[in-house]
Amino acid sequence: MKKNCLFSNFIAIFIPLIFIISCSKDTSEVIDYNGKFKNISGGNLINAMAGEPSNLIAMIAGDSASSAIAGNIFNSLLKYDENLNYAPDLAESWQISNDQKTISFKLKKGLQWADGKPLTSADVLFTWKLITNPNTRTPYASDYQLVKKASTPDSLTFKVTYESSYAPALDTWTSLHILPKHILKDEDINNTFFSRKPTGSSFYKLDEWISGQQVTLKANDKSVLGVPLINKLISRIIPDTSSQFLELTADNIDVMNINPIQYQRVFPARKDLRQKIALYKELGNGYTYLGFNLKKTPFNDIRVRQALNYAIDKDEVIKGVLLGLGEPISSPYKPGTRWNNPNLSPYPYKPSKALVLLQEAGFKKNDAGILMKNGKPLKFEIITNQNKQREMTAVVIQKRLQEIGVEVSIRVIEWASFVNRFIKTGDFDVVVLGWSLSLDPDQYNIWHSSQQGPGQFNFLGYSNKNVDKLLELGRKELNVSKREKIYHEFSKYLLEDSPIIYLYAGYALSAVHKRVKGVKNPAPPAGIYHNNYDWFVPKPLRRSEISAR
Amino acid sequence: MLIGISLVSFFIMHLAPGDVTSSEASFNPKASEESRQKLRELYNLDKPVIIQYGLWVKRIAQLDFGNSFASHQKPVLWERTDKSGNVTKGLIQESLPITLMINLLGICIIFSISIFLGTLSAVRQNTWVDRSITLFVFIGFAIPGFWLALLLMYWTGVSNQWLPISGLHSLGYQNLSGFGQFIDLLKHLVLPVSISSLSGLAGISLYVRNGMLDILHQDFITTARSKGLKESKVVFIHALKNAILPLITIIGLSIPGLIGGSVIAESIFAIPGMGKLFYDSVLMRDFPVIMGILTIGSFLTLIGNLLADVGYAWADPRVRKGLVK
Repeated sequence: MKKNCLFSNFIAIFIPLIFIISCSKDTSEVIDYNGKFKNISGGNLINAMAGEPSNLIAMIAGDSASSAIAGNIFNSLLKYDENLNYAPDLAESWQISNDQKTISFKLKKGLQWADGKPLTSADVLFTWKLITNPNTRTPYASDYQLVKKASTPDSLTFKVTYESSYAPALDTWTSLHILPKHILKDEDINNTFFSRKPTGSSFYKLDEWISGQQVTLKANDKSVLGVPLINKLISRIIPDTSSQFLELTADNIDVMNINPIQYQRVFPARKDLRQKIALYKELGNGYTYLGFNLKKTPFNDIRVRQALNYAIDKDEVIKGVLLGLGEPISSPYKPGTRWNNPNLSPYPYKPSKALVLLQEAGFKKNDAGILMKNGKPLKFEIITNQNKQREMTAVVIQKRLQEIGVEVSIRVIEWASFVNRFIKTGDFDVVVLGWSLSLDPDQYNIWHSSQQGPGQFNFLGYSNKNVDKLLELGRKELNVSKREKIYHEFSKYLLEDSPIIYLYAGYALSAVHKRVKGVKNPAPPAGIYHNNYDWFVPKPLRRSEISAR
Repeated sequence: MLIGISLVSFFIMHLAPGDVTSSEASFNPKASEESRQKLRELYNLDKPVIIQYGLWVKRIAQLDFGNSFASHQKPVLWERTDKSGNVTKGLIQESLPITLMINLLGICIIFSISIFLGTLSAVRQNTWVDRSITLFVFIGFAIPGFWLALLLMYWTGVSNQWLPISGLHSLGYQNLSGFGQFIDLLKHLVLPVSISSLSGLAGISLYVRNGMLDILHQDFITTARSKGLKESKVVFIHALKNAILPLITIIGLSIPGLIGGSVIAESIFAIPGMGKLFYDSVLMRDFPVIMGILTIGSFLTLIGNLLADVGYAWADPRVRKGLVK
């Protein structure tokens, strides 16, 4: 494991070097990618992904590669539009009853599966029954088990009734892929050919899956949502990101996610690359934080937590770790969305204030400049999993805290051991980890005081009665502006209590070959991929299939 | 013997914290602890290790290697056909041929080049030829493979476009003729095979060199030379035959190595081989796959040892006669 880490270190240093040394390629043919082109359908798009999808039934799979591919094959009832508002997907409209407990979805007319069979509310009901069936091996059942009653009054209507009003309900219906009843009704969902040979309803259908090498999707001409312009989506499985990058520079793939070094260092130095490859940045879906074990001293003292928050320079972390490609945050929501409280701002970098707070908490500097209380130094261990950015973040923090007299050591641990040996047992001081910036504001599982059992997600042990109350309220309130107020207040408490120090929300960086047109720039809040069915490759710019490696 | 090996590996594996439900992807507030506990029960992971081992042995006794946890029920070893005729291929079935092909090619290249280089440096002992060969094989041994791989990929794939960069097949692979597909595959294999061979040259060529030196100083060589035989005949027929005898043992011992791929090379070249399969399984705590690979690996090790002994006896009359006595 250590070896692998070292190895990526090396790559991080060497790849830019290679490019700097060997930039002597003569560009024999210059293609103008910037002209005006007609959007004729056809052509293919090749992207690279690091892992192979495990299973195209998303409720069972759970890995990102699977959901990326399955998302092009299946539809949900609802989806998020480019501004992250709810939009119709299979459902044409939806209605919430006055007591806020019942939602009825009206399906679009004439929906059909890729094999030509009609898609009706019976399929939706079947999917719901499937995910709530105790024998289905899915980790995501709990949200759907809250539905007390589901029914299909007619072939276009699907109606769910909850025990009590449940605000995140609509969000849960954006992520449940509707599966075909006529194929799966006699199959064992845990063990079926369907997971590798699915029939969906969305823009694409599976064409070919070469294990460990590539997954090819082709346009689904039965899609009632419209036929996409690009004919084939080819996802090549290339585990190593440096190899992906070489393939991109050699014109063999069109789309990949890149890292800050490539974005800030390699591309600016390479004119030939900038001519053919466009870069996009959008705020990613997660944030990185430093979290305290609140059950341990001295982290149960709010002054210590706030002091450490003042002592860490978030801008420096963003500059050093992400090369500036990130934003500081002050609530667990995407900046710019309605859930983010605009009146909050991160703790500024003020080491002097940190020292004052620590003195109030009883710490005094000894002769060696180390903060002591009752004869013991202020000393702790930051643990994190094997993630380059998190490791580097921990190092930057270590240095800053050392300056005010806090002794910090760092330990990096493989993921499964990290969770089972440290997180589940609560045997840690401080972690550097990440959470997603969820689209639905509900954070009950992470911050409610009842969620502290082993394996649950409030492993820091945060408990605040006001926050508990707000989280409970927010789960029941379906009125958006009332909900907004609730979560703005929740974020305020969370920032003040400082159980975690928000470090940064990084940008997701993508490189897309300029032969691909129709990519929205600047990226909308939902990201550049949200309209990938509108992308096209103009005929003169298509690669001939044989020559492509 | 196999039971011992499997018992030890089964327990060591379960000593590592975590199981398949604690992957990074499942660290998601939407996945509740109850559902994960349910998964553990469905996979029998909540039972004591000794019972899990018992269940495993029971299945293995019927040559059933089980299904992978992480890749959702793909069979570990061999394909399975369901009632409607859909075939799901086995994980090892898919990865093994690729790794075998690369390693066999690699071994052929390593042995043929090493025997040549070893003989040459033994015959020209202590000259500049000998020294530069030794220098070359040691550089090959010491150079970090992934670094050289990336440099070569850049040079042959990006700046010159002679060879493909990664993967096993080109995109239009299906449209090529049989011969075209073969050439396409060879092109994709050039870099991975030559990089993996480079590090193996040092060991084998030094074996050959030292073996040759021993033999060349023996009496029967002097006899052969004094008979007036040509030097080439002395070296290649009389000496070499004897010098490469120990290589039989090495070949036998490298049989288990044939099915083990290299994680780093496979990741860089995007080759879905055994190394990557094993590495990913360990990270995912995918116990059936780990046990499947370990069992087959240890089985092949035993077979390899046996084959090496038998091969040695077949090639060397002295050993054979010793056995009869």
